[in-house]
Parts: sequence; structure tokens; C-alpha cells
Amino acid sequence: MIKSDIVRGHLESVILKLIIEQDRYGYEISNCISIRTSQKFQIKEATLYSIVSRLEKKDLIESYIGTKTHGKKRRYYKITALGRAYYSEKIKEWLQLKDILETLLEAKS
Amino acid sequence: MKRIKNFVKNTFKDVPKEKREEIIKKVTEVLMEKVEDLIENGLSEEEAIDRAVVEFGTADDYFEPEGKITVFKKRLKSIKHYRNDTIFSISGALIIIGMLIFANLYYAPKVIWFVLPTLAVLWWPLAVIYNFLNKKENKKENNDE
Repeated sequence: MIKSDIVRGHLESVILKLIIEQDRYGYEISNCISIRTSQKFQIKEATLYSIVSRLEKKDLIESYIGTKTHGKKRRYYKITALGRAYYSEKIKEWLQLKDILETLLEAKS
Repeated sequence: MKRIKNFVKNTFKDVPKEKREEIIKKVTEVLMEKVEDLIENGLSEEEAIDRAVVEFGTADDYFEPEGKITVFKKRLKSIKHYRNDTIFSISGALIIIGMLIFANLYYAPKVIWFVLPTLAVLWWPLAVIYNFLNKKENKKENNDE
């Protein structure tokens, strides 16, 4: 399992992406992350909720109470226009970073 | 479900008051959702709660992504608390020793046995007083700096 501090700076973007795909609730997000990485990376719920509540404070996402199948209540998160803009900035940043690290770490001397 | 509430309360007990209520409310809500989901997937309530608690992490995990590592000071015991501890231990020890002396003189005045248990009981206030003096010294040093 990968150390979480390497990924930490990008967790915001990851969560934003998952919410852009569709509206999701808290546990769905963490579940989705474990499934997509086939358990190689698991986000600690404490970390997830602090990021989510911060994103909400910055108006990048909104929450509403929705109902899941069987009529159970869940707090769903939805992306805002501001959130989308922020995400596309973040993606640009990531691509740059990826490029830089690739050049530096995989360069053949 | 009470376990979840207690767990969350306990996890964030050192967070400053203004923030605490809100964090506890939100985190409890999401953990409940998770437990419900896990139960739906076939776990028993007990197992579901265990898993939610284990996978949650700590208060540090919650605050680290905010960029600063916030170490909350535990609510400090002040000198007053230590003084109260001392008074409590001394009066407690006196009562016990008094009872020992009474029992000794009343039931077996010829054999003086109360001295030994008295010595044992004395360790209690002695240890507390030692601790109290140490803390006092520490406080003094901190104030001098």
C-alpha cells in the first residue's frame, strides 16, 4: 500500500473528479477510491471528510440530502461551477508535475 | 450506534470548542452512513461499526491535509488540580490510618500492628505530594523562561 503523504496534495483533485463524474456521498467516494486502485490506495476516512468539508467551505462543492435505494438518507455532494474551474486548473498543474517528474526521475544519463 | 457517537466524541475531544461541535456532527453523520452501507452488504452491526472505527484513522489524519499540523494541547491540569489531589490523598490516608489505629487499640491493644499498614498507606500521599512539588517546580521554570 502506498504512503498517503505522497498522494495527499492531490487528494482534493481526486475527490473533485469523483464528484464531477456523478453526485456521490461520503462513503461512496472512499469506496470508489479503493476499488479503482484495487486496494493499493485507501483513503482514511478522517482525511476524506476533512477535505470534503473544506471543499464545501470553499464553495467548490455543494451538499444536499438525497435518498439512496431503499429510501435511506444520504448526504450527497455535487460539483459547482467554481469547482469545475478549480478542477481544470488542478489537472493542468498535475500534468505539468507529471511531466517534470518523468523527465527528472526517468531520465537516462 | 451509540458506539460511533462516543468514538467520534472521543477522537475530537481536544479540538477547540468552536470547531468541535460541527466536526463531531458531520463525522458522526458520515460514519453512520458507512455503517448502514456495510450492514447492507451483509455485515453484522457489530462488525460494521468495528470496521468503520478502524478505518477512520485519527484526529491527526483529519487535520493534516489542512497543511498545518495542529497539535492540540491537552486540557492541562493546573497547579490547583494537583493541590486538590494532594489534599484528597492526605485526608484519605488520615482516615484510613485513624481507622487502623482505632481497630488496633480497640480489638487488640496488646499487639501493636497498625504501624506496618500505616507505612503502606503513607506511600499514597507521599507519591502525590512528590508529583505536586515536581509540577510546581516545572511551572516555576517555565515562567522564568
